[in-house]
Amino acid sequence: MSEIVDNAPADEPLDHSIFEADIEGQAMNMQYLQRILGWARPHRRTAAVSILLVLGASMLAVLLPVVISRVVIDGIIMGEPDALLPDFGMNAFNEAIVRLTGLSPLVSACLVYAGFTIACHTLYHLHRVTFSRTVLASLRDMRRDLFAHMERRPSSFYDRVAVGRIMTRITNDVQALFDLLMGLGMLIGEFVPFFLGLGIMLAIDVELTLYLLLAVPLFWAITYFFRQATRRVYRAIRNTVSLLNQNLQENLSGMQVVQLSNREARNLERYRNINDENRAQEVHAINLESSYGAFMDNMVNMALAVIIWVGGGNALQDAISLGSVILFTQFVDMFIRPIRVLGQQYNILFRAMASAERIFQALDWHEQVREPEQPASLPSRLEGRIEFRHLTFGYDPRDPVLHDVSFTVAPGEKLAVVGPTGSGKSTLIRLLGRFYNFADGTIFLDGIDLNRIRAGDVRARVGVVLQDFHIFSGTILDNIHLGNPAISREDAIRAARMVHADAFIEALPAGYDEPLVERGQNLSQGQRQLLAFARVLAADPEILILDEATASIDTETELLIQAALRTVMTHRTAIVIAHRLQTIQEVDRILVLKDGRVKELGTHEELMAARGVYYTLNQLQFQDVGLKPDAH
Amino acid sequence: MRSLLRLTFYLKRYAWSFGFAVVGMIAARGLEGTIPLFVKLGIDRVAAGQAAVAGGTTDAVSATSALLLPALGIVGCVILQMLVTIGYRIAMRRIGVNAAFDLRNRLYAHLQRQGPGFYARFTIGDLMARAINDITLCREILAGAIRMTLILLLTAIIGVIFMFSLSPALTLAILLPMPLIGLVAYAYSKRIYSRSQLVQEGFAGLSTFVQENLNGIRTVQAMAQEDREIERFSAVNQDFADRNLNLFRTTSFLGALMPILAATGTLIIVSYGSVLLDRGDISIGTFAAFFSYLALVLWPVREAGSLVTQWQRGASGTVRLFEILDYEPEIEDRPSNEFPDLSGRISVRNLSYRYEGKQRWALDHISFDVAQGETIAIVGRVGSGKSTLLRLFVRLLDPTEGDILLDGHPISGYPLNFLRERVCLVLQDPFLFAESLGDNIAYDDPDRDHQEILEVARAAALNETIDAFPEGLDTVLGERGVTLSGGQKQRTALARGLIRRTPLLILDDCFSAVDTETEERILSGLKRLRADHTTLLVSHRVSTARHADRILVLEAGRIVEMGTHRELLDRGGFYADLERAQRNRTGSEEATGARSMAEVTR
Repeated sequence: MSEIVDNAPADEPLDHSIFEADIEGQAMNMQYLQRILGWARPHRRTAAVSILLVLGASMLAVLLPVVISRVVIDGIIMGEPDALLPDFGMNAFNEAIVRLTGLSPLVSACLVYAGFTIACHTLYHLHRVTFSRTVLASLRDMRRDLFAHMERRPSSFYDRVAVGRIMTRITNDVQALFDLLMGLGMLIGEFVPFFLGLGIMLAIDVELTLYLLLAVPLFWAITYFFRQATRRVYRAIRNTVSLLNQNLQENLSGMQVVQLSNREARNLERYRNINDENRAQEVHAINLESSYGAFMDNMVNMALAVIIWVGGGNALQDAISLGSVILFTQFVDMFIRPIRVLGQQYNILFRAMASAERIFQALDWHEQVREPEQPASLPSRLEGRIEFRHLTFGYDPRDPVLHDVSFTVAPGEKLAVVGPTGSGKSTLIRLLGRFYNFADGTIFLDGIDLNRIRAGDVRARVGVVLQDFHIFSGTILDNIHLGNPAISREDAIRAARMVHADAFIEALPAGYDEPLVERGQNLSQGQRQLLAFARVLAADPEILILDEATASIDTETELLIQAALRTVMTHRTAIVIAHRLQTIQEVDRILVLKDGRVKELGTHEELMAARGVYYTLNQLQFQDVGLKPDAH
Repeated sequence: MRSLLRLTFYLKRYAWSFGFAVVGMIAARGLEGTIPLFVKLGIDRVAAGQAAVAGGTTDAVSATSALLLPALGIVGCVILQMLVTIGYRIAMRRIGVNAAFDLRNRLYAHLQRQGPGFYARFTIGDLMARAINDITLCREILAGAIRMTLILLLTAIIGVIFMFSLSPALTLAILLPMPLIGLVAYAYSKRIYSRSQLVQEGFAGLSTFVQENLNGIRTVQAMAQEDREIERFSAVNQDFADRNLNLFRTTSFLGALMPILAATGTLIIVSYGSVLLDRGDISIGTFAAFFSYLALVLWPVREAGSLVTQWQRGASGTVRLFEILDYEPEIEDRPSNEFPDLSGRISVRNLSYRYEGKQRWALDHISFDVAQGETIAIVGRVGSGKSTLLRLFVRLLDPTEGDILLDGHPISGYPLNFLRERVCLVLQDPFLFAESLGDNIAYDDPDRDHQEILEVARAAALNETIDAFPEGLDTVLGERGVTLSGGQKQRTALARGLIRRTPLLILDDCFSAVDTETEERILSGLKRLRADHTTLLVSHRVSTARHADRILVLEAGRIVEMGTHRELLDRGGFYADLERAQRNRTGSEEATGARSMAEVTR
């Protein structure tokens, strides 16, 4: 995705709700299929080989019953290989082998049969392997493209769309396409022998074949009606199952509240009701499935009656041989299987089309941070001067979060941003990290318009430590240097030491090489914060942006963190969203935001003297509330 | 395998359906075995007719009429078999569905009786997996594996009986390769099973990677790690594709091997059958019918292997499920006689608690009394035993030693429902349900009226939040609705506790995410609502604690200080130090509280 596409101008909000919408199964969409097959294009040679293999295998497969009926039964047992009836050269082939080897015709026929069987199934096997290889490779590529695409969507996207929605697209939805394509492969494997077998049957007895063909529309229609009937039931089952799971999941998550509120009986009752509904739908589905399954499994044998009656009658009139009657009985299964497989694939198709829609929805979503056409080049070391000039910004442009924000931070200065929830503090620093597009107003970095600098360049110079410390799976060391080749092992360890993270790291069994798993659950909140500091220190950005964590941390770790913070801020311009009074004491100036506007800006003393918002905030915290929860 | 026996409980519960199904299966297999007999009869009559027509003893038309019986016989068998099959399938599958229904309800009720020890041991993800997958496995055992096993056995037995009645010699001959085919099938299904496990693991790995990555997408982008993450994803993705290919290669190979091995049966019929036919031991119809019977007996031989793995999977599923269902709730409920309502007078006697596997006492023989209507603040470091103490009051935990007396009776003597109706604990972590705001506040009793809810909402300083939503109390929370800030969540949880007006209210550090201005309002709300009721509250802030009647300082599970704010300051102990530390941290002499500047922000 190198080209820069912007599918909506900044002042027109994108509709992210499409990612939340439930997409039900829909009919075959050739455009989608074509697009899916686009990923198979690089692997088309393997696919072509696979198709050739299935053709060969199918040909051998339909000749096997011919060997039994026309060669063994008619030729050898009955001794009257009716020359008028086609045998596709099998009798001649067998006689040739007999002449060549001197074996008895029966032994030779057995060898032919064995040889054909082995060859046929070997080809089928190779077909299946090559086919699944093609499908796997195509979808592997698709999944990688999808992941890479999502990886580059900006924060404004992830603000609106739940991570789970994207995750299922990358995992389950691609998997549904896998089922679809493998199912298509299965259909090829069923339909090719079906048509070849049909050809053989027509060549031998047109009348009997036509009678048998009457079953096809019948089975087709019944399969169709069955799928129609089950669609609603299956949907109801899916819904009730997901309701059951949601209910259980939520109940487990809030179990203590449930128990402390004495809600057990009521919740069980509610769960039982959903469960009841689920059972009713399941029973409904069972009735339909059992009837349809038994019909499809058993009605095939009806063909035997037709073969005996019609085929036997024709044999008596010498129109066909006895072997041919037996041949038809052997083709019965091959005749009905494609319909049955198609029936099975039907649901997969619906699900896959819905998945395809979801996948393409994501792939076609081009929201991104606008990159400059002619990016400014940055000096090797920035001074670190930041200026906000008349900046107005809103995630929804009609509803600005920041109004006309202007202020300047001098190189090396430390600025704390304080203000109540929703005052726009986080937004301010996100804009500085170039996570969002903005057009109304300007931010300057060393006098250069931020919009003229590529996002990647900005982020290399502006170190951001967010509240949510993401730990990448890998070792501690990996998490400090993040694959940056410019950071040596020694650098990383030095950084850890400087933020006092070395004590806990060295206490780990493998020290710096200790693997971290699952969002770093083996680390405490405080340790993770220290690690985040080490990471930013190792990267050595000119400007530091920090969203201080609010979670309660024990006093000792908090002291460590404060010390580390001091280290990290040294020789850097820093903007901190401060939640702790102690942090505020470390900074040069304080900016008070309220309702998206800069209310006050100055040193602690200045702001206290001004008796404004900051003063009130402070007073509120320190005054004697004069209240007792109890009046005694 | 023993765990599977426990599922027989459900077979017994639905014994009538099961009996009906077994009879149906036998009938269906019998009918299935009869069809080739009619085919044989038809072919023999065609052969005889051909000979007779050729010999001039009869004409084609009358010979054809002899085919009516076999043709109609087949039609009859097919229709009957279909009807019987529908019947027994429905019966068997209903057993599975009903058992799953019962198991789900049983599991749900069981989970609701478990305490924190249980939930520390089993994660929610683990329990969800058991509830979803393992119940499905049990259902598949009951409706699937048992049915398939019976069908395969019956098919093989009935097939052999029919074949034997036609030609014992040919039957014995074609049975020869069967054990070999069965063994190969079994060996391969084991391999397929283990490889499909690998595929599932691969998928889980893929999902975990994507989830972790997307959850940290802001950091990934802030650190410009996109390319590196995509590269790492490619490796995981490739690994998943490889595992899949491995699985498919194995299944496909088995798919090729089976018909090749089965062809030995066909060859035996063709070769040995022709000899027997030549000798006149069997008819041409029998010869043809054996192809059908071969297919009949091959089927069970082929399927036996995958059936074994299905049983194995089912067995491990039932083990996992019954591990949960057999877990005894750690809190024993004692249904007991009626008690008068509680006043909220507490006396704690020698109370001790030690967590399983730990050496140290979390609470070390503490005793204190609280009068009705008193407010006690509990202060102490992380790990000093505050939360443990609070949990003991609502019997989320039971003491290792000692007792808590409420109105002079040990709380273990009260029925659990009775106790929890009268003692309300508001947890530190404010869990809210994905329901409306009003339903969350009135969680204990959804029938409470609007006025009542609004009143406690005001006391919890939540009224402005409610007014700010267009739908007010009906605003739905959670993923599909509105996300509240940390402070709003805590206030909602507080309102949920307040609305119950219990004689004893316990607050576990419930204001940590609430800003100072709001906390002030809440404290006055508390004062109004709980004037005559006992309240215990944990806080890290001296500014909150000082408003309590008395303050209790816990350190390493012991009470180190207890008294009023003034008394403790004069004593110059832990509390006084804490007060000084919090005051110093603000850098202001008049300060007494160190607290967060604002509510938790994103």
